[in-house]
Amino acid sequence: MQGKISLILISAVAVMVTVGCQKGAGNTVKVGAITSVTGSQAAFGEAHKNGYAIALDEINNKGGVLGKKLELDIYDDQSKPDQAVQGVSKLVDQDRVPVLLGAYSSENTKAIIPAVTQRQIPLIIPTATADNVMDSKSPWVFRICAGANDYARATIAFLKANGAPKKIAIVYENTNFGQANRKSMEAAAKEAGMDIVAIESYEAKSPDYKPVLQRVKQANPDVVYLCSYLLDASTLMRQSQEVDFNPKYYTSAGTGFAAAEFPTAKGAGKNAEYTFSVSQWLPAVQWPGSKEFDDAYFKRFNSHPAYHAIQAYAALHAAADAMNRAGSLDSAKIRDAIKSLNLPSTPFGPVQFDAGGQNQHPVLITQVQGGQYHIVFPQDAADAKPIIPAPKWNERK
Amino acid sequence: MKELRGAKLWITIGLVALSCLPALVVENNYLLQVCFRIALFAALGLAWNLVGGYAGQLSLGHVAFFGLGAYGLAILASHSVPVPIAVLIASLLATLVAALIGKIVFRLRGPYFTLATIACGEVLRLTATNLNITGGAIGLTVPTVFTGPMFWKLYYLSAVALAAGCFLVNFWTANSRFGYYLMAIREDEDTASAVGVDTANYKLRSLLLSAFLTAMAGALYGSAFQYIVPDNILTIDISVQMAIIAMLGGAGTLLGPIVGAILLLGASETFKTQFQESHLLIYGVLIVLVVLFLPEGIVGGIEQLLRSRRKAAKPPAPTPNQSPAISAVEKGN
Amino acid sequence: MVHFLQACMNGLLTGALYALIGMGLALIFGVMRIVNFAHGSFLMVGMYVSYLLFERLKINPYYGFIAAGIFLFGFGYLVYKLLIQPIRDRSDFMQILMTTGIALILVDTAQLTFGADYHQTNIDLVNRAVHFGPFTLNAASLLSFGIATVFIVGLREFVVRSRTGQALRAIAQNRDVAPLMGINVTRIQGFSFALGIAFAGIAGGLLLPALYLFPSVGEDYTLKAFVIVVLGGMGSIEGAAMGGLVLGVAESLTSTYIGNQWALAIDFVLFLLMLSLKPSGIFGRQRA
Repeated sequence: MQGKISLILISAVAVMVTVGCQKGAGNTVKVGAITSVTGSQAAFGEAHKNGYAIALDEINNKGGVLGKKLELDIYDDQSKPDQAVQGVSKLVDQDRVPVLLGAYSSENTKAIIPAVTQRQIPLIIPTATADNVMDSKSPWVFRICAGANDYARATIAFLKANGAPKKIAIVYENTNFGQANRKSMEAAAKEAGMDIVAIESYEAKSPDYKPVLQRVKQANPDVVYLCSYLLDASTLMRQSQEVDFNPKYYTSAGTGFAAAEFPTAKGAGKNAEYTFSVSQWLPAVQWPGSKEFDDAYFKRFNSHPAYHAIQAYAALHAAADAMNRAGSLDSAKIRDAIKSLNLPSTPFGPVQFDAGGQNQHPVLITQVQGGQYHIVFPQDAADAKPIIPAPKWNERK
Repeated sequence: MKELRGAKLWITIGLVALSCLPALVVENNYLLQVCFRIALFAALGLAWNLVGGYAGQLSLGHVAFFGLGAYGLAILASHSVPVPIAVLIASLLATLVAALIGKIVFRLRGPYFTLATIACGEVLRLTATNLNITGGAIGLTVPTVFTGPMFWKLYYLSAVALAAGCFLVNFWTANSRFGYYLMAIREDEDTASAVGVDTANYKLRSLLLSAFLTAMAGALYGSAFQYIVPDNILTIDISVQMAIIAMLGGAGTLLGPIVGAILLLGASETFKTQFQESHLLIYGVLIVLVVLFLPEGIVGGIEQLLRSRRKAAKPPAPTPNQSPAISAVEKGN
Repeated sequence: MVHFLQACMNGLLTGALYALIGMGLALIFGVMRIVNFAHGSFLMVGMYVSYLLFERLKINPYYGFIAAGIFLFGFGYLVYKLLIQPIRDRSDFMQILMTTGIALILVDTAQLTFGADYHQTNIDLVNRAVHFGPFTLNAASLLSFGIATVFIVGLREFVVRSRTGQALRAIAQNRDVAPLMGINVTRIQGFSFALGIAFAGIAGGLLLPALYLFPSVGEDYTLKAFVIVVLGGMGSIEGAAMGGLVLGVAESLTSTYIGNQWALAIDFVLFLLMLSLKPSGIFGRQRA
């Protein structure tokens, strides 16, 4: 019996070794992407895939990369950081991609940074906003999206220019996203001399936030800063009405409050009105090609894109551009090309990475007015004036 | 009897040597990671086997120790404790926590015990999500034990070494008085207690051993992937996986958890690339099939088959009609 | 004081639904001693059934839950006959493992069919609130509470008054003697299991308007269900109803006074406390 088991062991090893020795493809160029196809973040992983798909077609229609067709090698990290690390191995060690995109969530992205640095492969981060992601200052890491600190600072700047309220409360979802944004806003508010009257966290899975909102209401803040995904954002607004919580400003760290569905019946509907949100992108924004991206996305996937999709799109375009300018598949050369990248007008705005690898992406502030998002800050990008204060619940129609 | 044990030992040593082969042959880091996982989960299955297999206590909270090992290492290392010492201290701390948990949960039987272990695991996960020192939901970086280009080979060998260690502990347990008392408890706790076995004591001891080994595995795992979050490292899924690996292979057998780990994780990795989203479904179906048709697990089933063949070959000797628990106790004494 | 009472009231509203879930498990675990780790997953199936009826046929979940209940009665019976009955007399170990496997199959099938995305039903009632004095209660939750109460009382009456109910209690008290009393144990057990699952389905349908729907939504509820059964005492249907209400209020008070992020933890703390101090539960007589 022991002999049988040894046989099984040997054959298992043999199978794995043969599987491992794959031949590479000939006439295509591959870029690796790690994202969450399954697991709790699967919805965002899908946004990534869709954004990549649109970019892929555009790039290949213009001749591909280095004269060859571009292919995307996607690895599913199942929304888990250890799987993301394994993905780096598969994509880089086994499939030999010269450049990586990903991951979706901040924790998965943070987890793969040592792995890409060790292998000296450039990584372009499309959506991870936690600031600890860029802490390592690795020369191989580039981030295309703005971070949680930028969200907080933009919101504070907006508030200062529009009434300069003093008392702020922070309500956040007890996840990586929520905790990271809470940290950023706490620091930024303190720096701006604001008075933080309440900080409350909630579990996204148990949708009774009334006690939380009651406590915040009692602290009587002027501003509330919410860090939520779509469903809890919708529930929070509905329950704010129920407990009759009326701060002068409802502000937020994007994501749920910036989702395309948020002002619709699928989200918070009428309760979304007057909420402010940070945003990295809107279909209506004045960057060339952004409306076309929205149309193309809607035509192909029958829904409107959130900014995660265009961030993925922009990341792939950046990678393709760098590879073409580097003129080779050598990772170091590609990295240098990314460093010197300068795309002043993409649908995602200007893309250029600073010395720390961060793209200084402008953060917009939007407000839901009449069921639509309108950009209200900064002034030069604004298409509407902000409505302040938010009317009390019993005064709304 | 003795030469049989000797032969088994040599074959086992041979198998361990064989398991080191991938470290020499495989150059592909991705495959090495897969092998690492398999070896580590074999170690985990063997560690769980002490409590769940031999003592028959279905614990679904073992992830608590796994997570404590990983978090202990991360937190201690951030306070400048050298990594190998941190691993040891973290594992000892986990054992301490196991003593506390054991005091509470071993008063319960059957499903209540299982539920209590689940509760312990979940409380730890919630605590880790909400405390600053554990980094909350944002998580912590874990320092590595090894560095350099041989990274994954060394990690794989460490996992094999840990699995071998767990195997030896299982081996020793299975052939010692301690082990027979555990098996007596598994067969019929009340009778064992009536015959004079200090059930609470032995159950606790099995848990302490198991917890120590599980925590070491947790520390190794965390440091291999270098970043831990509560939802990944303290999730009940890991507890369930440990139990399934042992049960699929054969709980209470020596080779069962190893076979279970190879099969389950090997299948999972293959299915992940082929049937990306269905691997949980396949897990579930496997469990259902094993429970319906192969309740002793694969190794256990094979052993039973061999036993019944041997029985058919020679005439049955008159066996006294006594409880298996008492037989086990007698064997131990 | 107002806040305390408001929190208690909110807790009772949720608690009624917990009671339904708990009573379903009490039928299965308390009466039949089957450790059903898939209870929450069946609840999830109930939610998806109601959701589908809402999305495709525009049936309001407050009617749809009936269909969910009926579907799950049949489905539960099928599962019992095929998978549970064969291992009826095996150890608890095996039952836990089997039902864990069933749970995995249910959850992953849901994920493959519907995706991991969160869904929500947005019916108008959810946006309305009932005000009386200084208190506000969500209209939808109030309706769920009302319907749940009807079912709770109905189940209790059924178990106490009807012949099948008496047979159930007889089996719970002594399974070996029951057949001597002329009870068809196999049939009653199958019926009991199916009924317990049906109640999980009804609870799911009633929870749908208030909750988010995603494949693993049921996992927390399996644990909650066991906590409720333990709180209420083994084998006691009324105990489970009380346990559900107690849990709902405890969660609400924790959320109000300590923090929402600890509300889930209170389930486990209560559980461990109860098991350590009074394992027979609030109403229980049998030993744990």
